[in-house]
Amino acid sequence: MSFPSAHNKVDSIDYAALRALVVDDYPGIRSALRLTLSNFGVTKVQLVSNAAEAIYQVKQGHFDFILCDFNLGDGRDGQQLLEELRHSQLISVKTVFMMVTAESYYEKVAATAELAPDDYMIKPFSAELLQGRLDGILLKKRAFKEVYRHYLAQNLEAAITACNQLVLDKPKYVVDALRFKGELLVTLGRFEEAEALYQQVIKMRAIPWARLGLARAFHLQKKDDAAEEELRDVLDKAPEMVAAYDLLSDVCLSKKDLSGAQTALQQGVAISGKTVRRQQKLGEIAHANGDLDTASVAFSNALEKGRHSIFITPSDFGNLCRVQLEQGDLDGAATTLKRNKSTLQSSPEGKLVTAVTQSMVHTQTGKLEEAVKALDTAAELRAAGTRGDAQMMLDLAGTCMASGRFDEADGIVAEVAKNAHDSEALLAKARKIYDAAGRSDVGTGVLASATTGVRQLNNEGVVLAQRGDYKNAVDKLMTACSEAPYNPRIMMNAVWVILKYIDQVGMDETMIEAARGHLAEAERQAPGHGRLSGLRLQLKEVETRFGVNRASSA
Amino acid sequence: MKLEGSDFYAALIHELKNNLGLLSMTIDSIPTQGDPTHDEPIDSARLQCQEVVDRLQQALLIYKASNQPIQPNIDAYSPHDLLDTIKARAVFLSRGRLQVQVEIALDTPEIWFFDRDLIEMALINAIHNSLSHARAGISIKAKLIEGCLALIVRDDSAGYPEHILASVETNRSYRASGTGLGLQFSRLIAQSHQNQGRTGELRLHNDAGAVFCLLLP
Repeated sequence: MSFPSAHNKVDSIDYAALRALVVDDYPGIRSALRLTLSNFGVTKVQLVSNAAEAIYQVKQGHFDFILCDFNLGDGRDGQQLLEELRHSQLISVKTVFMMVTAESYYEKVAATAELAPDDYMIKPFSAELLQGRLDGILLKKRAFKEVYRHYLAQNLEAAITACNQLVLDKPKYVVDALRFKGELLVTLGRFEEAEALYQQVIKMRAIPWARLGLARAFHLQKKDDAAEEELRDVLDKAPEMVAAYDLLSDVCLSKKDLSGAQTALQQGVAISGKTVRRQQKLGEIAHANGDLDTASVAFSNALEKGRHSIFITPSDFGNLCRVQLEQGDLDGAATTLKRNKSTLQSSPEGKLVTAVTQSMVHTQTGKLEEAVKALDTAAELRAAGTRGDAQMMLDLAGTCMASGRFDEADGIVAEVAKNAHDSEALLAKARKIYDAAGRSDVGTGVLASATTGVRQLNNEGVVLAQRGDYKNAVDKLMTACSEAPYNPRIMMNAVWVILKYIDQVGMDETMIEAARGHLAEAERQAPGHGRLSGLRLQLKEVETRFGVNRASSA
Repeated sequence: MKLEGSDFYAALIHELKNNLGLLSMTIDSIPTQGDPTHDEPIDSARLQCQEVVDRLQQALLIYKASNQPIQPNIDAYSPHDLLDTIKARAVFLSRGRLQVQVEIALDTPEIWFFDRDLIEMALINAIHNSLSHARAGISIKAKLIEGCLALIVRDDSAGYPEHILASVETNRSYRASGTGLGLQFSRLIAQSHQNQGRTGELRLHNDAGAVFCLLLP
C-alpha cells in the first residue's frame, strides 16, 4: 500500500471560536478540563454533571464539541446520552462528540457501535493528547464539509459523490470516506455495492467495523448463512464486540433460530446491559421462546436502565406486566403498575396499559366487578382513539372474551389482524384466545375475513409494482391503507409505490402528502424498522428533486 | 453495603484514574517561574507523574489481557497526526531542557493500520525514558522499513545497558524493573500487531545513544 505524502500544517483550528460542553460527574475533573481546554484557547465552555443537564444545554444552544465522560454515576451513561442526542437529532454529524472513558472495554464498543462517538480518550490523559485528538477530528469534519452538507440536505447521491471525491483527493481520509459511504449505500438499499465496499476495506485490513458492515450487507441481502459465519468469526477473535451480538441476533431471527437469537442477545447484555433497546429485544425474544424468567429480568432492566429515556414507551410497562402475569406473579404486576402510576397516568396509552393489566389481574383473582370496571375504562379509551401495541390489544381481547364481551373481543381481534396480516406470531396468539374460549370456529372466521382482503390488495399491489404498473399498484395499496390504517407493512409498501409512481410520471401533491402520512404512521407502528430510514430519505429526495415546499414546515 | 470483589476493584480503578488524571492536569498547569529552585522540582514531579500514569496503564493492560496475548484494537490512523501529538507531549515534558526533533520521512504513508492507544502508550513511555537519560536532545521519526511503518525514538544518552539489548534480541522474558519493564510492554504491544503473516517487532540498539524502534506490519 502506498499513498502520496502530502502532509502540511497549514490547517489549524481556531479554538477561541468554538463552543464546548463538558459532561462529567466529578467536579474536580470538570474544572481541570476547563483549565486544560483554556490552555489551547477554548474559552466558551459549559460544564454539566449528568445526561439530563447535558440534554438541557444542547437544547438551549449550539456546541461545536462535546467532551463527555462515559461513566456519569447513577442514571444514563455517556453512550446512552450520545444515542439520545443523535436519535433525537439534537446534534448533527457536524457536532464532535468525544467520549472520555476509563472503562477498559469501551474502545471495542466505540469502534463498532451503530452510534459511535467521533473519537474517544482513555483516562488519564494529558492536555497534548486531548488537543491532538480534537485537532484530528475537527480537521476531519472540515474535510467532510461537502459530504455533510449534502447529507444534511438529504441529497444522498451527492453525498456519495463527495465521498468518492475525498477518496481521490485526501488519502488521509480514504478509510473514513469509505466508512461513511458504506452507511449511505446501506441507507439507500444498495446492499450489493455496500458488500463490495466493505470487501475493499477488508482487503486493506480486516478491521472490525468493516467486517461488521460486510455481515450487515450480507444480512440485508438475505445471505444469512454468510452473515452468521462472518459474525461468529469476528466474535471468536473479539468476544467483547457487543454490536456483533445485536446483528447476530437479527441474523438468527431471520433464519427463524429464536434460541440462537436469544443466546446472542444474552451474551451482548452480559457485556453491556445498559442499552435499553438490547434489553427490550431480549425480553421480546425470551418471551417468544417461553423463557419467562429471562424475559421478566430483561423487561425490568429495560425500565430501570431507561428511566427518563426516550426509548421507553407505555408498551414496556405492558410487556413486563404481561410476563409477570404469565409467571403467575399477580402481586408483581400490581406492584409494577403502582410503582409507575404517575408515568402511566400521564398518557392515554399508559392509561390503557393500566386498564388492560388491571382487567387481567382482576379476572385471574375472580374480582369480576373490578374487572368489568377496568374493561369499561379500556373501552372508553379505545372509543377515544387510543391504541396499544398488538400484544396488548390481544390481551384485552382475551379478557373481554373471558368476561363474555364477545362482540367487543371479535372487533379488537379483527383490528389487530388487519393491521398485522403478515405476523404469524400474533395471528397464532389470537387463535389461542378463541381456542381457550371454545370459539375456535368463530375465530377462524374473524381472522379470515379480517386478513384476506388486506393480504390480497397488498399482494396485487406489489405484483403490479414489480411489473412497473405503478399507477394501479398505488390504487391497490391506497385501498389497503384505508382498510388497515395501522398496518406498518402496508403503509411502507404504499409509500414505496407512491414514490416509484411520482418518479415515473412526475409530482402529484395529493400523493406525496399521502406518502408522508403513511410513513409517519409506519414510524409510529414499527419504530426502528429497517426499511423506514431508507423510505424517509427517498421521500426527501423526491421532495428535493421536485422542489416541493412542505406547507406544514413553512 | 457489601461490594463484590470485581465491582469494588472496578470502582477503585475508576477513582484512581480520576485522581491521577486530576493530579497530572494540576501539575501540568503550574506555570514556570524561571527560578530553578521552583521549576526543577516541578519538572521532576511532572515526569514522575507521567511515570505513574505509564505504570498504571501497563498494569491495566496486563489485567485486561490476563495471561492472554494483547488484543489490539486496529483501525486506520494517520502516522503524521500520531507524531504531532507525541511531539507536543515530548516538548511539554522536556520544558525546554532538551531539544525535541521530529522527522517524517517522505515515504511515510498518509494512513496506517494500528492500535493508536497502545502505540501512543509505547511511544510516550519510550520518550519518557529518553527524556530521563538524554544529554541534549531526542528525536522522533517515522519512515518505512521493510514494508513496515517504523516509529523511532532516538536520544544522545549512554545507550541501553547490555542485558536489556540482549534480552530483547533473544525475545526472552526476564525479570525487569525500571526502563526494562516498560520495554517489555512495548515489545508485547509491537508483537500484538500482525498482518499477512508478519508480526510487529521492537528493535533496540545503541548508535550514539539509545535507539528505540517499533516496526508495525
